[in-house]
Amino acid sequence: MTDVTTPEQLAKAKRAANLAKRYRSERRFRAFGMAAVLTAMGILGFLMTSIVYSSIPAFTHHHLTLDVVVDESRVELMVDDNNQTSVDGNWLGLVRASLRAHFPEVTSRRDKRKLYGLLSIGAGDGLAQMVNDTPSLIGQTVQIDVPLSDDVDLLIKGLIDRTLPEQDRLISDLELSWLDKLTADGLVHRAFAWALFNNGDSREAEMAGLKGAFVGSLLTIFVTLLVSFPLGVLAAIYLQEMAPKNRLTALIEVNTNNLAAVPSIVFGLLGLAVFISFFQMPRSAPLVGGLVLALMTLPTIIIATRASLASVPPSIRQAAMALGASRIQVIMHHVLPLAMPGILTGTIIGLAQAAGETAPLLMIGMMAFIVDTPTDVTAKATVLPAQIYMWANNPERAFVARTSAGIVVLLSFLLTINALAIILRKRFEKRW
Amino acid sequence: MTTTPAKITTRDVTVYYGDAQALHGIDMDIQANQVTALIGPSGCGKSTFLRCINRMNDVIEDCRVGGSISIDGQDIYDGSIDVVELRARVGMVFQKPNPFPKSIYENVAYGPRIHGLAENKSELDHMVETSLRRAGLWQEVSDRLHTSGSGLSGGQQQRLCIARTIAVNPNVVLMDEPCSALDPIATAVIEELIEELRADYTIVIVTHSMQQAARVSQRTAYFHLGNLVEQGDTDSIFTNPANKQTEAYISGKIG
Amino acid sequence: MSLSFLVICLAGLGLYSFFFGRHRIRAISRQSELKQHSQDTYHGSFLLICTTLLPLFILIIWSSFSPLILNAMLRSKLDILAGPLSVGEMGVQLAQAKALYAGIINPAFVGDSVKQAAAYYGELVSMSNTARAVLVLSAAVAGIGYGARLLDVRFRARHRVESFAKWLMILASAIAVLTTIGIILSLIFESLRFFDKVSLSEFLFGLQWSPQIAIREDQAGGSGSFGAVPLFAGTLMITLVAMLVAVPVGLMSAIYLSEYASPRLRNIAKPTIEVLAGIPTVVYGFFAALVLAPLLRNGGNDIGLTVSSESALAAGLVMGIMIIPFISSLSDDVINAVPQNLRDGAAGLGATQSETIRQVVLPAALPGIVSAILLAISRAIGETMIVVMAAGVAANLTANPFESVTTVTVQIVMLLVGDQEFDSVKTLAAFALGLVLFFITLGLNVLALYVVNKYREQYD
Repeated sequence: MTDVTTPEQLAKAKRAANLAKRYRSERRFRAFGMAAVLTAMGILGFLMTSIVYSSIPAFTHHHLTLDVVVDESRVELMVDDNNQTSVDGNWLGLVRASLRAHFPEVTSRRDKRKLYGLLSIGAGDGLAQMVNDTPSLIGQTVQIDVPLSDDVDLLIKGLIDRTLPEQDRLISDLELSWLDKLTADGLVHRAFAWALFNNGDSREAEMAGLKGAFVGSLLTIFVTLLVSFPLGVLAAIYLQEMAPKNRLTALIEVNTNNLAAVPSIVFGLLGLAVFISFFQMPRSAPLVGGLVLALMTLPTIIIATRASLASVPPSIRQAAMALGASRIQVIMHHVLPLAMPGILTGTIIGLAQAAGETAPLLMIGMMAFIVDTPTDVTAKATVLPAQIYMWANNPERAFVARTSAGIVVLLSFLLTINALAIILRKRFEKRW
Repeated sequence: MTTTPAKITTRDVTVYYGDAQALHGIDMDIQANQVTALIGPSGCGKSTFLRCINRMNDVIEDCRVGGSISIDGQDIYDGSIDVVELRARVGMVFQKPNPFPKSIYENVAYGPRIHGLAENKSELDHMVETSLRRAGLWQEVSDRLHTSGSGLSGGQQQRLCIARTIAVNPNVVLMDEPCSALDPIATAVIEELIEELRADYTIVIVTHSMQQAARVSQRTAYFHLGNLVEQGDTDSIFTNPANKQTEAYISGKIG
Repeated sequence: MSLSFLVICLAGLGLYSFFFGRHRIRAISRQSELKQHSQDTYHGSFLLICTTLLPLFILIIWSSFSPLILNAMLRSKLDILAGPLSVGEMGVQLAQAKALYAGIINPAFVGDSVKQAAAYYGELVSMSNTARAVLVLSAAVAGIGYGARLLDVRFRARHRVESFAKWLMILASAIAVLTTIGIILSLIFESLRFFDKVSLSEFLFGLQWSPQIAIREDQAGGSGSFGAVPLFAGTLMITLVAMLVAVPVGLMSAIYLSEYASPRLRNIAKPTIEVLAGIPTVVYGFFAALVLAPLLRNGGNDIGLTVSSESALAAGLVMGIMIIPFISSLSDDVINAVPQNLRDGAAGLGATQSETIRQVVLPAALPGIVSAILLAISRAIGETMIVVMAAGVAANLTANPFESVTTVTVQIVMLLVGDQEFDSVKTLAAFALGLVLFFITLGLNVLALYVVNKYREQYD
């Protein structure tokens, strides 16, 4: 049977040849799938790493240790009506004078300005604080750390290449020599950049902080929570537990789902047209921002609450009803408490979303340059994401690190919120 | 037959679920302090009928109830009836034990609380204890009143549900296959309990088990395809059914 | 009386009425033979509602609308005091008068008419506040009186309180609908004013978009061009790039994770990918503009391509990354919903796993996947921050993804950010764009819903 091939053998040979091809295609398909998963995870890793890496410089800053003479003639002690003392003075001038004392050879105006440029504009703030706390320091010499300017800081951190030709570099050779002398004297050292957390916004990168934006975010989210949580939960209870099944409730349901998919910027337009233009509410206020975000978060909360209510088994409702509990009592005493962990999880996730939202807040002016920390919901304020957006638009080199640091803070904030939701779910989740 | 007026009277009760008719003109008289068993094959409408008596059908969408049901001469489908008050008078125990996911104490105390039956804490404690005693559960749980009710065994859970029901002090107790999810020993305990409770309550029980109906009830009603085929004293129904269908069901030919 | 003090007073009255109601019903009940219908707490709550409902309503209405009315009155006062003013001057003087009243600016810097107006405004405000306080508090007291007379043993307080709760819930449900109506009305209303000045056909089919010229006042009638085609084209291109990234990666990861991956990998990879969905868009914007765009530009230069630093490519790629978890989790759901017996059937015939997936699972899941992609497109079109930060501002009509393009959302932001008169053609144009955006995303969502419902699995 050398030449004879039966149809069965033929088919078998065909199948074998085919099989190899089919297995190759199987492996290829699998590899594509694996590649897709790895791509998605890799991108996340790359994104996180690149942002965290570029944020690192912003968490520290270089300071200069100076002995500053608090010259009596250049400060003024004032006592106000309430017997509170305050000291006013040209603090920056004092600090600069002390720096110049290290370089007596610098005399020309141009060079002096360059020398002073080594220091941050806010170099006098620490001294002002110190002397105001202890007015007895007037007339004495105090040792104090003052922040260097952002460019000098970047240079020391190696982010500005000092080997570049002088005209390509932000720091001139002369400045470099001063800096080297100060470094050699052991006066320059690195410290944690508290300004990032303690200060409001600033045009100077080394002075710019997130405090104002953080408080603004908290106030805004507070308003959002206050409005969207009760409204969302009440609406969900009605739709899930009480509403008759008719066209109107079907319409409300479709509408809620659609509202969840409306682009956030459209909510910003709504806020602008209704709250600001029509009701003349203040621009840039957490009140308006919170209201806009509340309307945006409402569908999320409604959908999560309904799902959570639906998962409470009907036998609980029947038991309570058979005991003579009214419909509202059944809901308030039994269904709602059992659904609460799910509702809270959904609400927290919705709020985390709102806390990361930027676009609708740009529409209502929550991206103004605001130095002061907002104190109430009608004050002008900005929020963390908007602050990040503004910093990202800043061309100065040092702001790139600042922006990344802002993102790290924002992400940590959101991570904390989400972790809260996960813990809540794990702790209280009930399976039926 | 007794001469006292019936506790529950139903006349021409019909129930529709949407377009489907589930009950066809049920006329029944249910006597006080007796156990009335409703038997019949699955889907015959006995549970539906039971749920009409405390208006648990109200919550089902597109369920319509026609005819009249009166308790102590008062039409319970009358507009002036507060369904909440009705259910306080007509308690119900379900097929599957459904304790609230709260403590044993809270389960029993819930009814008296919402109806404002107790003036103070000690009165409430007393009510909880009495109800648990009556349900024969006190001995078993008195030392763990504040642990979760869902930690009890199935039979205990069902007795907890009975305790919870009688804590409201109803005069009618409806039971929808109360033993179907229990083992024989737990079933026997519940059956004994039903016999004891008869002295104070009018009990209507839906059951799949003919033996159970024979054991616990004084009167029996046989339902088939939404019709009340036959009703009468349990003894006579089981020994000498008037209707062919009833006989076939009781002797196990259908069902 | 200030708003916060008034609210505290009202809260105090409410609290008092609650305890008063409870106390009173107990007293009545003691003298009565009848069984009390509702528990004491419900009587208290009923009285609380009687006391606070109407005053709260008055308070909200008054506080919402009195600024509008006071503003109008101040405006007419200024008209009388300072004579006819241009729109701009009127705006300045209004703001000055209010700021002076609030004590923000120094009286030395404003004119006499403004000072008088500020004094007048102060009188108005205090009058309005007094009237508000009188009205609110008397309504509260009247509420207590009315409610207390109703309390009785047989009074069905629980019914009243519960039906109130029900109406509160209905009102809350209506808010979601009102929001939609509010969006549609405000968009349409402002857009109509825009289309008074710019024709609809120019807007929809015009090839030239340069709104900047229109704010110059010497150009009467505002002759900036508002042809939105370049915006639509730019949006479309960025969306296309995003989909080219998101659909293959998202879909393949969903398939791999639900059909191939070990439970361990699945438990790690799924939440990890979903983290991508939780990252705020401003972070993606930063990533696109400051990390990816320079990389692309330098990389392009190396191989001889000119890549704009605000290329459609960078924005699109990053938007695609943002959308990956959206596609993967939605597809994951529909793939898992395909019944196992279909897979078993194919495997039983000797199909390999990939053949089963491609020939059986995917066709069965297709409606769900298509709907997921439609939703993803809708999300990409509406996404704002990534494109604001990474795409361009200039409206180029080009098909080259290495060039800079602009999108609808970028233009909405550009038109509205910064201080400008609300009624200018420029701001109105933003609302017209918003209207287009709203209807396109709405249409995509409805279409996605339709696809799912129409072609949903027939197996069960």
